[in-house]
This record gives sequence, C-alpha cells and structure tokens, in this order.
Amino acid sequence: MAPHRIALLFNANKVYDRQVIAGIGHYLNSTRVEWDLFLEEDFRSRMRDIHQFKGDGVIADFDDPEAEDALRELHIPVVAVGGSYEDPADYPVGVPYIATDNARLVRLAYDHLIEQGLSRFALYGVPSAAGNRWAREREHAFQRIIAAEKVEGIVYEGSPTSAGGWGEAVEHLVEWLSGLPKPIGIIAVTDARARQLLQACVIGGIAVPEQIAIVGIDNDPMAQLLNRIPLTSVIQGAEEMGRTAAHVLHQMLRGMDCSTTRVIVPPVGINVQVSSRFQPMRSPHVMRASHYIRQYGCLGIKTEQVADYVGVSRTVLEEHFKRELKQTVHQAILKHKLDTACDLIVNGDTTLADIAIRCGFTSLQYMYAVFRREYDCTPRQYLETHRKTAAT
Amino acid sequence: MLPDGRPLHRWTLRNARGARVDISDLGATLLSWQAPDRQGQLGEVLLGHPDAAHYLAANAFMGGIVGRWANRIRGGRFELDGIEHRIDRNDGNNHLHGGHDGFHARAWDVDPDGDGLLLNLVSPEGDGGFPGEVRVQLRVSLDDDGALELRYEATTDAPTPLSLTAHPYFNLNDRRPDIRDHVIRIDAEEFFAANAEAIPTDRQHVSGTAFDFREPAPIGSRLHWPDPQLRLAGGFDHCYVPRGAVGNAPRVVAVVSEPSSGRRLTVETDRAGLQFYSGQKLGGQVNRDGHPYSAFAGFALEAEAFPNQVNMPGIAEAAILRPGATYRQLTRYRLDTL
Repeated sequence: MAPHRIALLFNANKVYDRQVIAGIGHYLNSTRVEWDLFLEEDFRSRMRDIHQFKGDGVIADFDDPEAEDALRELHIPVVAVGGSYEDPADYPVGVPYIATDNARLVRLAYDHLIEQGLSRFALYGVPSAAGNRWAREREHAFQRIIAAEKVEGIVYEGSPTSAGGWGEAVEHLVEWLSGLPKPIGIIAVTDARARQLLQACVIGGIAVPEQIAIVGIDNDPMAQLLNRIPLTSVIQGAEEMGRTAAHVLHQMLRGMDCSTTRVIVPPVGINVQVSSRFQPMRSPHVMRASHYIRQYGCLGIKTEQVADYVGVSRTVLEEHFKRELKQTVHQAILKHKLDTACDLIVNGDTTLADIAIRCGFTSLQYMYAVFRREYDCTPRQYLETHRKTAAT
Repeated sequence: MLPDGRPLHRWTLRNARGARVDISDLGATLLSWQAPDRQGQLGEVLLGHPDAAHYLAANAFMGGIVGRWANRIRGGRFELDGIEHRIDRNDGNNHLHGGHDGFHARAWDVDPDGDGLLLNLVSPEGDGGFPGEVRVQLRVSLDDDGALELRYEATTDAPTPLSLTAHPYFNLNDRRPDIRDHVIRIDAEEFFAANAEAIPTDRQHVSGTAFDFREPAPIGSRLHWPDPQLRLAGGFDHCYVPRGAVGNAPRVVAVVSEPSSGRRLTVETDRAGLQFYSGQKLGGQVNRDGHPYSAFAGFALEAEAFPNQVNMPGIAEAAILRPGATYRQLTRYRLDTL
C-alpha cells in the first residue's frame, strides 16, 4: 500500500511547533507507520492553498485563525493542534483537538513563585491579536487564580513587538516594572516576553530575582542564549501533543471516528534557573551587588567594581556580605564563576579551555587549581562523577 | 491495636536528608513517606488510611505487602504437578492479592536490623487456599539517596505459586490530590492487554498505543487517547514487561516525575512484571483525615510476576517456589528531586 500523504501545517520556526513536529516524528519512528509528510520548505504553513492538497490527512496548527475556515471544506481527516480554552464553546466543532493546557501552564508558574515565598504576582502578556488567543487564555487563567486565592495580581499586556516602536515600548516596560510593588513574581506568557522583562530589568537597574522573580513559558533555548540571567521556564508537553495528534490521525486513517476526541496535555516540567530563585534579602546593597555579579561575574570583575556599582565603600559592602551571605564579595564572585563553569561542564559540549575563558578564569591551569581547591577534583573528574549521576 | 487485642507498632526509618518512612507491623504496610521537594520541604508522598481498622476493612491494599500472589489468578484456580488447586476468589470470579486475608492484613514480626527493619511472616499450609507453609523474610531500609529498598526471601515446604509485591500508592505532589499531571516513563516494549476482569489476554507491543511510555508522558492526557483497552479498565491497570533480564541485578523499570514539586520516583526491580495502576477506582477510599479520596488520587507501580502467570503455558513454572529453593526479590523505590 502506498504511504499516506499527510500535510503538517505549522509555522515551525518556533520551538513549540518544532517540538510538536518532533513528537509526530517519534510516533512514526516508534510504529514504523509510513507517512509521506508534506511541509512547506520554509517551515511556514500556507492555509489558503490547502484545498488543493491531494492527500490523505492533515495535522494543523489551529492557533492560526485561518485554519478552521481553510480546512472546513477538506474531506479528509484533520487533527487540530492548539491552545486549550476555558469555554468549551471555543473549540472547533467536529474536529479532534489536541491542546496545550494553558491554565495548567500558568498554574505551574504560579505555584513555583508561591513556593519561592512570594506573595505578589503579575502577568506580562501580549496585546490581543488574531493568532494569539492562547495568550488571552493564559491571562484569564492568571486572573482566575488570583481571584480564587485572593492575592494581589496585576496584568500588563505591553506593546506589540515591532522594530520601529521598540524603544518606546521598552521605556514603558521599564516604567511599569519600576512602579510595581516589590518583591514581586512575574509570569511572562512566553519566553520571548520574559526576555524583554529581563532586558528591561537590566535597563531599569532592578534586581532579578531579589526584586522581581521571572518565569517564562516554552523553555526556549534561543531565549536562554540571549539572557545574562538564566531564565526559569515552564516546559510544555509539545512533543506529547505531537505523538497524540499522530496517534489520533493514525486511528482516523484506519476508519475510527475521532471527531469528539479532545486531549488536553499538561506541562511536563519547569526548568528552574536563577531568574526565579527568590530569596528574601534584607540588605539592598547585597541585593544590588548580587544582581551585578550575576550579570558580569564571568567578565573578570573585582570587588572594587561591585562596590562602585552599588555606590558604597568596599568596607561597607564586605560588612553587609559577611552578615547576610557569610562570605566575602570575592568569594561570591568566585562562586558565581564556579557555578557557571559546572553548569557548562555538565550540560554542554564546550571544551574546558573555552569554559575557563567564558567563566572569567584567566587560564585553564587556574581553573584546574580552583577546582582542586574547592572540590578536590579536576574539572574532568567533576564531569565524570556528574555524568554518572545523571545516567543512573 | 488489632481487633483481637494484639498491639500494633509503627516503625520509622530516617535518612541523612531528613526523609522518613513509617512502617506498620500490620501487613508490613508502608504507612507514610515524608520526602523533600525541590525546595527541600518535606511532604507526604503515600496515600494512607486513618487507622488499623480502616486498613483491615478497605480493599485497596494501600501500602501493604501483598502475598501469596500479587495480582489476579483467573477463576481462582491453577494446576500444579497435576493437582488442581482452588484458592480464594475475592475479586468477582478471580483471585486477587492473596485472597480474603492476605499478607497485607497479617501481623508481621518486626525487628530492627542495623539501619533497617527485618519483617517476618509465616504463611500456614492452606493460606488463602495455597499449598505449603511459606516463610517470608523482608528486609526494608532507607538510604541517604532516598532509596527505599525491599529485599524479600522466602522458602516453602511444598510447591506453591509465590509472587510478592509492595502496594504503595504514590502522589508526589502533597499539595494536589490528583496524579494526572504526573509524567511517567516505563521502560517496556510490551504489555499485557486484558479483559474486563483485568485478566491478561495477550502480550502486545506498546508501539502505536496509549501504553507506549518509553518516552515520558503525562498520565492524564494519555487517559483520553482513543483506546479500547483504556475504556475497558477506565484507565491504566495493566502489566508491563520491562526490558532487561529477570532475576539478576534490578534494572530501572519506571520513572515518574511531578513538575510542580519537582519530586521524582524511580522504580528498580528484578521482577518480570510491572503493574501500572492509575488509581481510577480509588474514589471513596478513606484518607488519613477520614475524608474520601477521589479517583486518580494516587498511582501504583507493583513489581511482581505476570498476573495469572500460574495459568500461562510455558511460563507458569517460573512462578512456582519449590522446597529447597529460595525465593529472592529486590525492589527499590527511590525518591529524589529534578
């Protein structure tokens, strides 16, 4: 039998869509189901031409507002993928729907911030547009949580992201952040929005996470690369959505009626990083200094520069560090460098020589000496023990 | 205290990270497991009843050690060395988890043993209808990595089927009484499809089915896959065949994580089968505060022989213990954080 021809209609330039497609791929590989997959070569879907498609089935991104109308006249099995809705009436009728659970994504971010000891919350959304009904759903989910839990919660949609208006948009964002009561935890509806928050906090001199703790959604490696402060982010079950969509289409091609199937997939994890590790601090000097060290600690800074940034003398700063963190400023900088190096050693494929440079050790030899002193092992031994732990 | 007036005891194991496990001599039951979450906060991860009377009256086998036969035997009958044996039928027409008065409802002898506990039980000839007198010894310990180790040994004076398991129900998030957001991985290529009475019918490959958890997936959304096996059981209550050799060193068979608390459970065992039960029938079981649990309040992962294996041609003998031989089993439940 000739393989079924299946169109995947996604704008796969975003990590979420790519993970959905990866999940479809997993399913096909695990079952030896042969599908001839049709994707536009620039990974952008063109809904308008789909009625000309001579194939057997479609899996489509129904967050795209054109999808429902464009696919209505198509008399082959269609599986919809998109965001979940609070109101069941918002789902398309007669089409199986595989959804990311918008309410649960926000709930997981909120629970995480609560556990950090925060009691004030905000959500940074996006202005309403046809393709982002999911953002509205996340905003409403946040409002339902704060109403139910009777806590303080603020919503800010900000401006759309455009090159022209960007300068002004950032100014407004900094202004909004400065005016917020602190400390506060902010949930951004995507990592792209979270990244803008981190940037605005740097511009506004607001300490993350001491004054503002931030959680994004998507766990997007790209957003991670562009931040000095590693971002905490909720991981969507996008691969599982892809597997589910492929399974449902597979059953439909075998003749099963799945028109009322609706599968809502909860998040599968949260990648906890510095941006949300809120620890209440008493000294504003230590807070500002920690913020500075997190941004520039790997660039060879010394205690003097930290004191200059904070605007107090070295002695005063050392005193505050001793009282609050039980360590010197120098030790705090060194700890930051070591933590960064350990992360890179365990997680990446970066060479040790590169890691030494990137973490602000003057040479590889010096990094070895510091590892020997602090951990009583070489960086390579550190890697081996931690790889082992991860594998067992 | 037991209805006959015998006193009961609660034993506690602790580790260096502050985790603690409470065990009762009634049923060698795991009463409680307090384990740290991502923030280091201790929280309860096991379901439990308020008192001994509830443990004896309930039918969920909550936390207990199950024997002589974990899971079901079709029709409550099997043939051994040419003799047909009839055993307790306590699950419709079938035998389940040792019968009316299984190991989970007995008073075990408990002694401290180094940093662990040694639990002993003598199961008399005819127990639940099974032949032979069986002596079981279970060593339980909790290590500093958060692993609760269950090491079983048993001998008999006449041939008998024997399959033991622990039956804890887990909920890794002590703040939410529902396990459907837990993410599970099961390292198995095959599982047993079952009939409406949960008796295995045929061994199938997991690929292309809702039972394929070789990649981690949330339990709750899988429950909505269009799958006749899920409809029949109202969820997962199926035996997997984990990959790897049986009877040797234990291998990892399942990993369950809970995103919000960050807790992660890893199950290792040397058994042939792993029953995954998603807790769909837990509604109405009484919780520690005397209130009813809801469906899906907990899940169970039971390391054991295959259900009804004593009636499966070719592999029945592997589930039989004979005089002179020693039954050995090792299962570990390890709790850590992501």
